[in-house]
Amino acid sequence: MAEKTIRVATDVGGTFTDLVCFETGSDSGIARIVTAKSDTTPPNFEEGVLNVLEKGGVDPASVDFLAHGTTVVINALTERKGVKVGLITTEGFRDTLEIARGNRPDFFNLHYEKPKPFVPRYLRRELPGRINYHGEEMTPLDLSALPAILEDFKADGVQAVAVSFLHSYANPAHEQATLAEVRELWPEAAVVASHQITREWREYERTNTAVLSAYVQPIAERYLSRLAGGLKEKGFGKSPYIMQSNCGVDSLEAVSQIPITMVESGPASGFWGAAELGKLIDEPDVLALDIGGTTAKCSLIEDGQVKIMTDYWIERDRTTAGYPIMVPVVDLVEIGNGGGSIAWVDAFGKLHVGPQSAGAVPGPAAYGRGGTEATTTDANLWLGRINRDYFCGGEIEADMAAAEKAIKAVGEKLGVDADEAARGIIRIANNNMVNALKLVSLNRGHDPRDFTLVAFGGGGAMHAVALAQELGVKKVVVPAAASVFSAWGMMMSDLRRDYFVTRLADLKPGAAEGIEGVFAETEARAIRQFEAEGIDASKVKFLRYGKFRYQNQEHTTEVLLDSGKITDDRLPAIEAAFHETYEREYTYRLDAPVEMVGIHLVASAEVGKLTMTRREPTGAAADAVLKGRRKVDYALEGIHEAAIYDGEKLEPGMKFTGPAIVEDPGSTIVVHPGNAVEVDGYGNIRIELK
Amino acid sequence: MSDRTNDPITLEIIQNSLQATADEMFAAMKKAAMSSIIYEVLDMGTGILDAKGRLASSGAGIPAFIGVLDKAVKVIVEKFDHPGDIQPGDVFTTNDPYQGGVTHLNDIVVAMPVFVGDRIIAWTANIAHNSDIGGIAPGSLSGEATEIFQEGLRLPAIKLISEGEPIKPVFEIMKANSRMPDFLEGDVWAAIASVRIGAKRLAELAGKYGIDTFERAMASFMDFGEKVSLTELSRLPHGTFALSEEQDDGRIYNVKITISDTEFVVDLRDNPDQDSGPTNTSRDGVMVCAQMIFKSLTDPYSPCNEGSFRPIRLLTREGSVFHAREPAPIGFYFETEVRVYDLMWRCLANHASERLAAGHFSSICGTFIGGTHPDTGRHYTIIEPQLGGWGASEGRDGNSAIFSGFHGETFNTPAEISEARNGLFVDRMELNPAPGGEGQWTGGHGIRLDYRIRVDGSFLTAGYTRSKVLPWALEGGREGSPNYVEVIRREGGTERYSFVSSLTVNKDDVIRIVTGTGGGIGDPKARDPEKVREDVRNGFITPERAKEIYGFAG
Repeated sequence: MAEKTIRVATDVGGTFTDLVCFETGSDSGIARIVTAKSDTTPPNFEEGVLNVLEKGGVDPASVDFLAHGTTVVINALTERKGVKVGLITTEGFRDTLEIARGNRPDFFNLHYEKPKPFVPRYLRRELPGRINYHGEEMTPLDLSALPAILEDFKADGVQAVAVSFLHSYANPAHEQATLAEVRELWPEAAVVASHQITREWREYERTNTAVLSAYVQPIAERYLSRLAGGLKEKGFGKSPYIMQSNCGVDSLEAVSQIPITMVESGPASGFWGAAELGKLIDEPDVLALDIGGTTAKCSLIEDGQVKIMTDYWIERDRTTAGYPIMVPVVDLVEIGNGGGSIAWVDAFGKLHVGPQSAGAVPGPAAYGRGGTEATTTDANLWLGRINRDYFCGGEIEADMAAAEKAIKAVGEKLGVDADEAARGIIRIANNNMVNALKLVSLNRGHDPRDFTLVAFGGGGAMHAVALAQELGVKKVVVPAAASVFSAWGMMMSDLRRDYFVTRLADLKPGAAEGIEGVFAETEARAIRQFEAEGIDASKVKFLRYGKFRYQNQEHTTEVLLDSGKITDDRLPAIEAAFHETYEREYTYRLDAPVEMVGIHLVASAEVGKLTMTRREPTGAAADAVLKGRRKVDYALEGIHEAAIYDGEKLEPGMKFTGPAIVEDPGSTIVVHPGNAVEVDGYGNIRIELK
Repeated sequence: MSDRTNDPITLEIIQNSLQATADEMFAAMKKAAMSSIIYEVLDMGTGILDAKGRLASSGAGIPAFIGVLDKAVKVIVEKFDHPGDIQPGDVFTTNDPYQGGVTHLNDIVVAMPVFVGDRIIAWTANIAHNSDIGGIAPGSLSGEATEIFQEGLRLPAIKLISEGEPIKPVFEIMKANSRMPDFLEGDVWAAIASVRIGAKRLAELAGKYGIDTFERAMASFMDFGEKVSLTELSRLPHGTFALSEEQDDGRIYNVKITISDTEFVVDLRDNPDQDSGPTNTSRDGVMVCAQMIFKSLTDPYSPCNEGSFRPIRLLTREGSVFHAREPAPIGFYFETEVRVYDLMWRCLANHASERLAAGHFSSICGTFIGGTHPDTGRHYTIIEPQLGGWGASEGRDGNSAIFSGFHGETFNTPAEISEARNGLFVDRMELNPAPGGEGQWTGGHGIRLDYRIRVDGSFLTAGYTRSKVLPWALEGGREGSPNYVEVIRREGGTERYSFVSSLTVNKDDVIRIVTGTGGGIGDPKARDPEKVREDVRNGFITPERAKEIYGFAG
């Protein structure tokens, strides 16, 4: 028997824990793919992970690489299930957490309610000591009050301590000293200092980040150690890698210390998958769209690179300011618009879809579980886009009477019949998603027509072509196994860390040394961290980004710098690259001095990532997998008789044209009239629009 | 299939796109701006108007700027009324409150016609506070001004860009008149980028759906706005309500509001003559205040456009403080506007307390500090509104440390950024536990913010109201606490101000900004003892005062 490599990704979601396993023979290179699903088992989530491994027939002892994604952090935050936190901060600034930024997106509402801080005032304590913005000490740190503060914390049932001082991004000495002292005096408590998470300025954002990290730390630590323990008990001999919000994985040890970096890991793996897929099929510019049950998320990938930012907020929308978390998160836009989103008509006869969702229970009306409100899924069923005889892969019998009743109710309020109401629901839902896709493309200075739309998640393929038409996108790719695409993305991830460091510098001759210095210093820090985990420095790859602005501006534009040492003679080219990037985004450039505000360094190393093998066309005709034909309502393009193909049986090289529908148990691809479809060597379905 | 050019879903999709475009314009401007008052404080607004200058959709930002843009574009449309006056690629500007500018000279409106073929189908516009536009004082605002000519360069609804080509002399004149020419240029270009992006999107939208459908979508959007307002109007208490209120300077302001099913009439005719100083406002400015309070009172969530405001009728007297006659100075218009806004609010709060909270700290607390940055040698100017406490709502304590009702998605400046950018020290920024605002539901707390000056010969200008006449309470709650600024001199001595112009401050002088607690609602004795215990524990009230006011037993 030939040697084989087994790679596993497990993903803990709100309802289900998913498993994908790739078994690759070293001689054939051909992968056997196993997928499995079992119930998520709160609060002992590791049980669900062990269950799903067993259900999939995967022996942990045989696994070479295991990646793990979890929503434990975001759930603890949004459900307020973290621990009691005490904050130690600079004298005069204990209220920073409550003052926040004073903003109010809901600006005509005079009953607006500001988000409550995660630490009440009496648990926010101060220590004397000041560092200035150059990182120089102005007033020495005085720790004499610390023991009494910690005693108070203990007495109040505090379990985790956050430390955040002014200008610690420039010089963390005071935070480090306090951190050491807290660990010394109170070793049982979880403790985190802001500089361990971020080296960027803005004290409210950094302090809140430290507080939220402390808030989830004991919970995440417990979760991860139980997971590692459970896997070890079953014979898994390595350490699992944990999916991060920056599209990379990180070691379990590193994540246990700063768990807040997992906060958006769910969407990140899918977007990373889209970037990797783009590279694989030579489509490096990708608009990635993930449509699930309650939300749609999208992100833009340029030249194979995901965009990672630290301007991330939870619970922020048009009605509330939310909470900032200053960690590297893939730049994404998320809207409350998924398969289960509810269609409703307001008092003035206007149709809306979402953001309320029917969820899994009762779910869309067609689930027949008591849902009475029409959802996007009901409209898709009604219009023949989803096969009513093969609903949810045949697992659920579609209750069309319930769907009809729900859609008719919407139609009555609009004064139209059920068909027209269903088309309206699809059009409004599509419009919501088009606007989200515009936010990540047009709003950032990118023309969507230059991009390929990669659509995944349960609902991505159903809407992708319509959205592409609206945006002028010419190519749509639906990945093989689109419904478990996130897990695939996890297996394609590198061990990756993003470092953001604030450091002001101009671009005049003589400046290069300082700029090179901050990159070199950060690279050295990264290498130390990788080496401590047994990864050789030679395996670590770096990407250097500079964050620039015109002097006096605030917001920066990120520019990827060529590799190699930064010298004074390179500065004019760097400046020119900034002008060019800036003009694309803002339509003009200025003849003003340019300055650097900080750096963004990406450090990554491959840790057993999957290699895909291309298959040759089999020569079979698509007709061989034709399941039948049915009438499908394409909303704006009318009703057409569409060919229905069995997605599970499609083979490389098969071609057909729309109108058509491709069905497999996890998703439905709606191919519009005139679209040309081809299955590529990796099993992806590529759709060319006219 | 229904007719695609006129079905309600298409119109709605276009209306959603108008909103998305106004938001995109806002994001573009915010990111490109040079002045912190724009990019951090977000003292700006964006909007989309129809061919006649009627507001169709507005972006985020400051509510006080929403109703400004239509007035500016209407003046431009009226002034450039000959065929060929307005060409594709043109961009116009005004900052003159007597020519469509509404607010004060610092606020520059930039507007661009949207063409499809040779037809104007819409306008995109924005407004933002520029750091310095000339005049007698740095930052252009001075309490000493007696004529608008002293408040900076007037841009009287003029063309800035002709068929895509910048009119260089105009830019040169603007830069030559500013103490901060690079900021002015950068900010104006950010504004131009924003209207251009918006115009491009709208042209694409009209190109796709057809001009007729596009225009119908805008018109029906405004009709929708009106319908929402009328529905809510019918639910408000009807009748005539009046209020007189004394101001910090001893003057009395009077308002009479009449609400019926179809109209919201604000009568401000019985008010003092215009002032010789800069605390006057234009009639347009007062209209904006009426629109804001009307919107908050009716439906804060529905789209905000020309139709929403159709039921408002405003009566003013030319030559009064609320309808200044040219060339009255107008620089501190915002404090007068926030006063008249609060006056209308208070007038109605007694009759609709479920819709309106108790009195807020209710001042912009406009603070201007400038000097030389000790590390870079460059000049800096801080221009910022302050955070303060909001009044209690029925059933809930007021917010602490939040901008006044005039500001919306406005952010304060982080101490770390302020120290680097402005070269001063922020010694503290904390909540102000001043007594006041007690009740069954309490007012929120203001702030105490200490700026320590690092260079001799720096200046302070400030304009705060509610410094003597305190934030008002409802139903037996206690009044809030005052807003003021103190200068604590290095050599000893403390000065207290509410209005001060170009005061010299030197190294190690501390400028202490203090903002007030909002008013309370209901009898303090009815407050939940558990909440009082929390207040004491959090240091918001002393145990002694808690005992006195709430009967707190400890």
